[in-house]
Parts: sequence; structure tokens; C-alpha cells
Amino acid sequence: MDTETLPNVTKTFKYSFPTCTNEDVLFKLEVPVEIPHSGSTRELVQRVIKMFHIPVYLEDELNERLANFVAEETKTFHNERDEKLLNQLKNSELNVEGIVRNWEKLFKENVVDFAEQKGTPDEEVFAAAYHKLVHSPALETILQVENSYAKTVKDTLKNRDEDIKKLTDSQTEEMEEKMKLLHVDCTEEEINQLVSRHLEQQIVVAGRWGSTLDALAHTQRAQHRAWLMSTLDQYHDSSALTTPSNSPLGTFSPAVGAALGGPPAPLSMAPAAQGRMEESFTIHLGSQLKQTHNIRIVAMDLLDLCNVDPDNPTESSRRLQTSLSLYSSELSGVVLLSESPPSPRLAAAATGSTEYHFCDLDRQMRQIDEQVKEPAEDRNAARRGSQPAGHGGGSRKTLRAGDVVMTRHSNLGDVHVVFHLVVDDHSLKSGDITSRHPAILGLRNVLKAACSNDVTSISLPLLLRHELSEEMTGAWCARRAELVLKCVKGFVLEAAGAGGAELRTLHFALPPAIDARVFASLATLLPTIFRISNPLKFKAAG
Amino acid sequence: MYQDNEDDYKFAACTYFAKNHPGETCGSNGLPLTPSSITILGLAQRLLTIEHPNLCTYLDIIRGKHERIIVVAEVVGKSLSDFKSKFTINEVVNIAHQVADALKFLHEQGITHRTLSDDNILVDGEGRVKLFNYGLYYMTGGGNEVSFPLGLPKYLSPETILNGGGPAADVWTFGIILLELCIGKLWQNLKPGPILRRILTLVHANNPAERMAREHDCYDAYKQLPENLRLVIEKCLKIYPRERATFSEIVDDLSQINTSEMAEVKQPRGLMGCKLQYLYHWWQLAGGDIQAELKKNGLIKNSPPILSMPIAILLDGCTIGGKTGALFDCRIAKYSLGLLKSRLSHISAHDYYPLMHERRKQYDAVSLPKIIRERDTEYQFYRLLWFQRLLHGYPYTAPYIRAEAEIDIPPLVRGDVWAALLGVVGDIEEQYERIDKETPTPTDRQIDVDIPRCHQYCWLLCGSAGHRTLKRLLKAWLLMNPQYVYWQGLDSLTAPFLYLNFCNEARAFACLSAFVPKFLHNFFLKDNSMVIKEYLAKFWQMTAFHEPELASHLHEINFVPELFAIPWFLTMFSHVFPLHKIVHLWDALLVEGPSLPLFMGVGILRQLRDTLLESGFNECILLFSDLPEIDIGECVKESIDMCRSSPRSISYRRFTNEARTKEPMDMVEIPMEMLFAEICPRISLSDFFSLICQDKSCVIDIRSNLLYEKSCIEGSINVPYSGVHLGQHELRALGLNPQRVLKEAMKVKKTIVVASAEDETAQLFSDYLVKCSVPRVCIFHGGISAVQTHLPSLFTTPAPPNKNGNK
Repeated sequence: MDTETLPNVTKTFKYSFPTCTNEDVLFKLEVPVEIPHSGSTRELVQRVIKMFHIPVYLEDELNERLANFVAEETKTFHNERDEKLLNQLKNSELNVEGIVRNWEKLFKENVVDFAEQKGTPDEEVFAAAYHKLVHSPALETILQVENSYAKTVKDTLKNRDEDIKKLTDSQTEEMEEKMKLLHVDCTEEEINQLVSRHLEQQIVVAGRWGSTLDALAHTQRAQHRAWLMSTLDQYHDSSALTTPSNSPLGTFSPAVGAALGGPPAPLSMAPAAQGRMEESFTIHLGSQLKQTHNIRIVAMDLLDLCNVDPDNPTESSRRLQTSLSLYSSELSGVVLLSESPPSPRLAAAATGSTEYHFCDLDRQMRQIDEQVKEPAEDRNAARRGSQPAGHGGGSRKTLRAGDVVMTRHSNLGDVHVVFHLVVDDHSLKSGDITSRHPAILGLRNVLKAACSNDVTSISLPLLLRHELSEEMTGAWCARRAELVLKCVKGFVLEAAGAGGAELRTLHFALPPAIDARVFASLATLLPTIFRISNPLKFKAAG
Repeated sequence: MYQDNEDDYKFAACTYFAKNHPGETCGSNGLPLTPSSITILGLAQRLLTIEHPNLCTYLDIIRGKHERIIVVAEVVGKSLSDFKSKFTINEVVNIAHQVADALKFLHEQGITHRTLSDDNILVDGEGRVKLFNYGLYYMTGGGNEVSFPLGLPKYLSPETILNGGGPAADVWTFGIILLELCIGKLWQNLKPGPILRRILTLVHANNPAERMAREHDCYDAYKQLPENLRLVIEKCLKIYPRERATFSEIVDDLSQINTSEMAEVKQPRGLMGCKLQYLYHWWQLAGGDIQAELKKNGLIKNSPPILSMPIAILLDGCTIGGKTGALFDCRIAKYSLGLLKSRLSHISAHDYYPLMHERRKQYDAVSLPKIIRERDTEYQFYRLLWFQRLLHGYPYTAPYIRAEAEIDIPPLVRGDVWAALLGVVGDIEEQYERIDKETPTPTDRQIDVDIPRCHQYCWLLCGSAGHRTLKRLLKAWLLMNPQYVYWQGLDSLTAPFLYLNFCNEARAFACLSAFVPKFLHNFFLKDNSMVIKEYLAKFWQMTAFHEPELASHLHEINFVPELFAIPWFLTMFSHVFPLHKIVHLWDALLVEGPSLPLFMGVGILRQLRDTLLESGFNECILLFSDLPEIDIGECVKESIDMCRSSPRSISYRRFTNEARTKEPMDMVEIPMEMLFAEICPRISLSDFFSLICQDKSCVIDIRSNLLYEKSCIEGSINVPYSGVHLGQHELRALGLNPQRVLKEAMKVKKTIVVASAEDETAQLFSDYLVKCSVPRVCIFHGGISAVQTHLPSLFTTPAPPNKNGNK
């Protein structure tokens, strides 16, 4: 990166040898050679000999001459370029200051020895602390504390909703009464005033609750983080005395203990999961070397992966798994489609409890907006330039269909990362989208990002729709599912070559209301697209 | 437990990240761009082969997760920067002489060092010098594949700072280091910026060396240096690269100044005397973990991935936010061989020097599966030393190598052993050099399409270095075999040889050239239909011979080998399996010879047997379109068993490059149409004779009982063809005695030979037996009459009790 790639030059290698009848008449040979020469000169000599029918007794001489020629020319090539540079420097034709600054920057930003001494960032310290604690006997307490905090938030939210409802009810009542008196006792003017007063009241109440919630989240976050750090110190002090009674399993409350000991599958699902349609497969991908992946097709609302109900005791096992792997390299993610992220339902799930690790969803979205604005608008401008005017000029949003924004969460049910795939709902309703559709290309980016960021388990809407609508007939679903599955197959194979984590588990979600027959037909589609791994059969000896 | 000893630190690792490709990730050919780490891996392979007394041998280049590269190389002593005391002039000259020697060698190889510094010049206790990690510039494609700047500011030459710089930049750096050795460190406590500015101002100096000495208040010290040494320094520190001396001149100069004689070091014996590559290999097998030590030294830091998640990805792949590349840390982690030493401590001294004609010891590990043996430290220790010995004596030791390869081949020397098994000898480099691999040919297009699809999961083969070499190999082979054309699959066939001889193209080519005539004679003809048809027919016969039930099922559903087995044999399975399985398959192939692949095919079918038996035509097609996992160890074992237990003549093919036999006793050749019609193979008279002698055959004479009673082969049973109901697929239908005899024969795995007067009845009856699931059925070539002519002594008149039993 510090050497400019100069265009290679072509030099002519000249060689002559006497003709057989007359010593003074020479055969002249001229071969253009690219400098610097990338191949072997001896091979070039062989080609020359063959092509021009050069007598073989000249082979050794040619070998030597050509090798010398190339060595000499290569040296000259470098030296001349360098000499030019140095002369420019001597004559002050170069921007020395710029060059030196550039080097300074390179050294400072990329090499440890010259970089500014920075301590470990706060978030990493906290991450390490948390990761250590959730893998210690303190896990149970942490979960309990988080759960009780979540309950407080939930209660507050409930109070807020009740309060607002009460206000709305009383306002409605008042309004109705006034309306009855319209043209009798009061004027339209008065009604309008009332409306604006009501609106003001609403805003005030919502604002009050908003700030209460904010304050609550703030205190909870501060308290929780402080408590975690102090717990870590205690844990360090007492870590010498690890007795069996201290072991995680011993101290778990029955619910959590059961969750750990019992069969994990049914418990790791949302309570709503009872009786939902799903089917799992283990598949092999790759033509020679096979990689194993688990895929599951399931009829569910993807937001069930995000929602947590603090009052439900079985939820703690879901949270347990999510907390344990939060700072590991086995993250799980979900792809949510929306026209303008975040979708309100996700926002509700994310604010259902306090976010202790990352910024809250609002702030994350704001940061994303800020940072995405410039590159996205550059891109949009470039796109507008290349497209005929008037086409697609309507949308003024910075994010376009196919763009993906990612948010991180520690307080959702099963996922750590949410990929918000921006889509154009209208075009996705159409039955014939191709593999070049923005949503599909966005999916490709999602899978690649997942691989290179250690997201090993990902859930995505198989039909690229979260809900059923009337045009989604059986045939429509089959066609869409086939397209998505085939594309995903290609993307997973491609992403595997990028040298990141393996996408171990893929969940394909169908709208929960899907017809059982359609589900069954889509489930049978899977084994025709992916190679299902053979079950290992053990044969009894003898 | 073992104790770490300073001398045990034999190798070290350093690590860095390759550059990430920004934005759009498709190359001009529409395929994803090769990740930088793959390119580095491919370039670095050449470094692994470089050996020079003053260079630290590269041992391994590892590609980690997320574009991490780990370089493992030899280390000795400590680096110049770690020496606190000053060197005497004699020592300085000695060190400089060796460094210049190393650099001269590198420049001859076309490798520019660029990163030479006092950190990577290692000096051991005896004053021996080795350069460490001299290939960073080379393996990163001149720094193009990494995002950090190469080299240290104070060692950069002026033209390098100006973004130029060729090999002559190394001369400058060498001059600076030499100057530092003489007058002390330069520009200490200065930041990169000021250092670079100072270097650039040197261009105005007439004598940069003197100027630097003056700047550091060392002018007097500098002037006191011997004049010839000063001259060398000044020759190096010329501003214009053209004026600088080359390393061969410097070496000459220094060798005149250098008076110190290197003490002859006695080659260490025992473990430390083994090749470093072997030590590294054993150390890994003994549980050595490169990454663990790097982590311990803080050279691999794992920040939780969720913290470095990007925040958005635009449709065109432009990623916003997220990971900021880790900084380049030039520190190294050293590894101790203590672990390996203690693991091998009980091995007696003379086991390090095995004698060729000594009786070989048997190791317990031999009975374990091959994959486990390949991971067994001690077993690999013995095997490697033994193979090293044998390979040293090649080609005279060829028979020994073959015998040992039959047991197993140590993975580390597999390339050498394969070449030996294929009989590669002579000046292969020169032969290969003479072939024109560059001139475009009409097949280039197809080759270009196929190569990026050939074993691309293998990191070596998927890089540009791999692609280029594979193309050269294919072109060379096509040019040398004008009778052949490029059939898709040739690329897969070449891949294993390239994989094992990545830095030895000539040997890969020689192996391929020896392999094809032996195993795939005439397979790559423009019209290869007859060759392939014969091969498949033979394969089908072998299936019937060893797996009659499966064969008749597949016959029934009309699932013929043309539908699935052509790529198997055309590529000798290299298109079907991943490389790590192919090598085990081919290990056996190369030892056992050209008839083994037929049985390997049967071995694969046998593993799928249960599934196939319950599948119809469509399921079978689906199953083979993407072959399920096959246990290769098992498949190889069984196919060797089958191959060895089958009479040689039954797998006879006419399209081989072996000389045709004229001996009527060995003949089994029949017209092709007949071959395609026959389900059971034919056995030659001589094979039959040897089976009879070992009592491993059971002859069924299907002539009429009149003829049989007149004279018959001794021990044969008579089942008159006219009395057989071909529709009834049950042995019972043949009668009590034949059933008993056949059952008995099947139990002891005798070969069932059908003898008849006419070919047609023999064929129909043998088909019938296969349908009855009788294994090991074959037909007499030439029928009874041939036996009567050539082996009359076998004939007798049937004994009366037999006759009674039949009646």
C-alpha cells in the first residue's frame, strides 16, 4: 500500500547470432519483455527458441543473456522511478508535508508501537465483567435482578397506559357532553378550544410518563452497572473459596434449575410456542467438502423472539441463554422487514425493559441515522444521476429498499442483533420477484454480515412477509419460498468462504396464521433444495 | 513435567490482519473477490521452501478467523535490539557480513525484504545471524494486502518514503543498521513524523552517513571506524539507488574485512538434530497450540463481537460503522519444544537413526484407523524418520517405499511419497521448464471457467496463486499429450497433486503425467466413449460379483452407472470427495494399482447399500446428484479386501496401457457388445487353475447330465441348464444338492465358476445366480472346451455317489 503500483513497461530484448553460411550476416531477434517480469526467464527462453526455431546450442547463452537483461532492466526500472522521485524532492516539487503526514497517520492508526496509548474502552471492561459474572454463581442473582427491574418497568408502563386511558376516557366523556350541548349552550369555537386543551393534556401526560420512564431506565441502568461491577470485585475476593455449594446448579431456584437440567427444546421457546408448526432438518452444503447446518422451518411471529414477559417464570431460561452468549462469539440474530425501521412492535419489545449494555433503541436509531446519512445520500445522488429524471424521485428517505441497519440488544428474548431490512412492501407483494430484487440482495448482505460478525444463528421471514395477505396463495408461497431458499443456499455457501463464523442455525419463519397444508408443502420443499444429511446408522455388531 | 530451557525455543509466531475489501465484493469475472488473507496464504507458500543458513526457516502460515494471518518461523538467540552491550568492530563486521549474505540470497530469489530492522535480525550465542520474518513484504504482495505500513520509520529509505522503492531500498536499510551498530541508535525518542522529515532532508547531503553521525554527535566515533567499513556504510547510504552498492558487492567487501572465522558447529544429535519442519509437526501433534501462546502474550485479543458490529449495510454492500481494524503488533510469541521433548523423552538414541535393513518394530498404533495414526505423535515420529530415510535413498529404495506406503503415508511427506510411488525420477524441473504454458490455446476459456469451481474450499487452491498454477499445469499437460483433449474433470484430477506440491509445480506435473497413463489410459481421448463404457461395464460386473443383491436391484430399476459413475472414474473420485478424503483414497490407489478404483466404486455403493435397496430410480438419481458422506477409511479397507480377493482376470480391461497378453491361459477378452451384455465377469483359465489349487472355487457345470457324466471337472457339480426355471429366483429351485453345495461355497467365500458349452447359457445362468443373490459368480472364459484343451488333467468322470444324489 505504500508502493504506488506503477504501470509495467515493455522493453525489447535484442539478440543476434550469425547465419550458418555467412559469419558476418546476423540473424536478429527482438523480443518485447515486460518489466518487472513476473515469470521465469528460462521459460521465456524456451518459448522463444520454439517459436523462432533458434538453434538449441544457443540455449545456454540465451538463458544467461535474457536473465541478465531482465535483471538489469528491472533494476533500471526501479532506479529510474526512484531517481525521478528524489529529484522532484530535491527541487521541492513534492508536497513533503503531505507525504509525511500521511505516513504519520498510517503509523499512528495501524501500528501498536506508534499508536496513542489507549486503555481498554469502558464497554469492553463492562463486557468482560458481565461475561465473567454470568458464567459464575452470580448468574442467578443477575437474572433475578434484571427480571425484577423489568417488572418495575412493566408496571410503570401499565400505569402509564392506565393513566392515559383514564385521561382519554374522561376527555371523551367531556367531549361527548359538550357535543350534546353544541348549538345549545356552546359554540364551535369552544369545542375547538376544548380539543386543543385535550391535546395539550395528552401531551403533558405522555411527556410526564416519558420522563418518568427515562429516569427509571437511567437509574436502573446506573444501579445495575454499579452493582455488577461491585459484585465482580466481591467475586474476585471470594473466588479462592469456591466450594461445591457455590456451584451454579446448587443455587438455582427450582425454575431455573429445571430449565438447566430439563430438556432445553420446549423451554427455550416462547410460551406461545405450544403447538406451533415447525420442522427441523440437518443439512449438508457444498459439493465436495460438506458443511453441516441446522435449518428449521416454523410458523411463528418473529417478534416472539424479541418479546419477553417478566411475569412468566419459564422466560428466565430464554433470558439465561441470551445473557450467557451475549458477549460470546455465538450470537443470534433476527431479520425484520419494515418500510422504515424500527417497526413499532420491536420498539415496544425493546422498551419493555431497560437496556443495560447498549444505548436504547431510540438512541441507536438516531446514531445510525446520523452516520448513514452521508454515505446513503451520496449513493442516492449517484443513483439519481444515473437514472432518468422523474423515475423513483418520489421517495426522499435516505434509506432505500435493500439497505440494512443493525441494532444490538441485551434485553430481548432470544436475539442479540436485529437486522432491519428496509423493504418496499408493495413490490414484495408481487408474485414474481427475482434473485436480483433488493430484498434478496439485502438478505445476502445480512448473511455475510452475520458470518463476519459471529452471528451463528439467524431467523428470517421465509416469504419475505411478516403477515399473510390475500394474494399469498399456496402457489405464491411455494414460488417465493423456493426463491428465498435457493438464494439463501447460495449466500450461505458464499459467506462461508469469507473466513468468518459458520452460520450454524437458520430459522425460516412463516406467518403464524399460515395454513397447515401450505406449511406442510413448504416443509417438503426444503429437502428438495438442501441435501439432508443421512442419519448415522449404527449396526449391531455380528 | 518438563522444564523450559532457553535452547528449547525453536520457533515463534507473529500475527496480523489482512486487509478487508471495501464495498462491492465482486471481481470482474462476477465471482466474489478473493479475500486478502487467501492471497497472502498463496504467496507465502513459496517462503516455506526457502532455506538459507542466515534465514529463519518459515514453518507455517495459518489463516485464522476474520482474516487473521499467523506466521510461524524458526527463531534463534535474540534480536539485535535486545542486545544491550555494544558490539566490537569485529563482531559488527561479522554480523553485517551474514546479514548481507542473507539479503544477497533474497535478492537473487527476487524477494525484497523491506522490513529489515534491528528487531528481526537474530543473533545466537556463537554470533550466528538469522533474519526473522523476512518475507512480510513479499507475502503481502508488496504491502497491498494489509492496511498497516510495513517497516519502521527510521529504516525507511528516502525513496520508500516517497512511495517508491525497489530492492535497493534494502541496501539503504542495511546501511542504517550498520551505522547504528557502529555509532549507536539513531533518532531515539523521536516520533515517526520528525524521523521521516530528517531522512528526507538527507537528500541534500553529500554524505548522508557522515551527516547522520554529525547530527548524533558521533562524528568522531564515526571517523574512528576503520576506513573500509566506513566505505561500505557510505556505499549503502547513497541517496540515489543507482549509486548504491548491490549486496553481492557488499558481501565481497565485507568478506575481505571480516577476519573472524565461524566456528564449525557440531550438528546436534537426537531430537534437536531432526528437521525443524518435523519438530514443528510433532510439536503440534503433541498438543502444541500456536494460538494459545499468542493469546497468552496478548497478541490475539478477542473483543466481544457484539461490540464491533457494524450499524448499517447499504444495498451495494457498503458497510458503515463496526470493527476498526486491530493494530499491527510486531511482537512475537516464542514456543518451547519442552512439551515435545518430554513426550519423546523415553525414545532411545538409536531410534533416531533407523537402519534400512534392520527388522522393523511393530507399533501398537498400526491397528488404529489411519486418521488416528496421523494424529499420533510417537507413531508419526517413527514413521517420518523412517520415510525420510527411505526417501533419501530413492529411487533405489522404491520397493521399500511401496511396502511401507501400503501401511500408511505420513501426511508431512505425502507429496514425496506419491512421487516415489508414481516413479517420478530425473530432472523434472528442466523438463517442465521446456513446456510452453503461456501461449493461449482454444481450451483456455473452458479452463478459466472451471478453475474457480475446483475444490475452492481449499484455501490454497482458491487463491490467485493456486488458480494460476493450476492453469499452467493443465496447459502443460494438454500440450504434452496432444492425443488428449481437455475434459471437464481434469482440473479436479490435477488438484490433489497441486495441493501436495504447491511450491513444486514440476513435480506436480510429473506426478500427473505419470498418473494418467497408469490409471486413466485413454480416458481423455476426444472420443472416449468406448473406454468409459468398458470401464463402467467392468464396474457393473464387479458390483454384481461382490454385491449381487444390490446389483440386481439396480438392474431392475434400470439405474445404470452411466448415470452417476462417470465423474467417479474420470477424475478418480477427485471430483466427488474433498481433498482430505481423496488423499487417503489415492494413497491406496497408488499402492494397489489400476484395478482398485473399480472396487472403490463398489465400496461406495456398499456404504449406501441400505438406502439404495429401498430406493427407486428417482430417489437414486437424487441421492447421487449430491453424494452423502462416505466413510473413506472403511471404503478403502473394503475395496482393498475386495480387490485382493478377486481373481485378477475378472477385472481385466482392454483399454489399458499394459501389454496385451498372448497367452491363451490368461485371455479373457471378448467383443465389447458381449461385455456390455454380460452381468458376470469372465475368469481366465490360469486364475481358475490357481483357485482350484487353493480349493477356493466351486464349479457349476450346466451342460446336460449326459455330457457331464462322460467327463467333468473334478469337484464340479452338475446343474443341467435345461432344467433350470430362470423365473424362480430361489436357490431351492435348483435342487437339494446344488443348494447345499452353493450355500457351503458362499459360506467360505468360494468363487462360483459357471462352466458351460455355450456362452449364451453360461451368461443366462450366471445372471440367474446373481438374481438369487449369490456373490462371487463368474464365467469360464471359453467354456468347458477351453478347459479341456488347456487343462485336461482337471477332468475326471463323476463319482457314482454324486450321480445317485442327483438322480
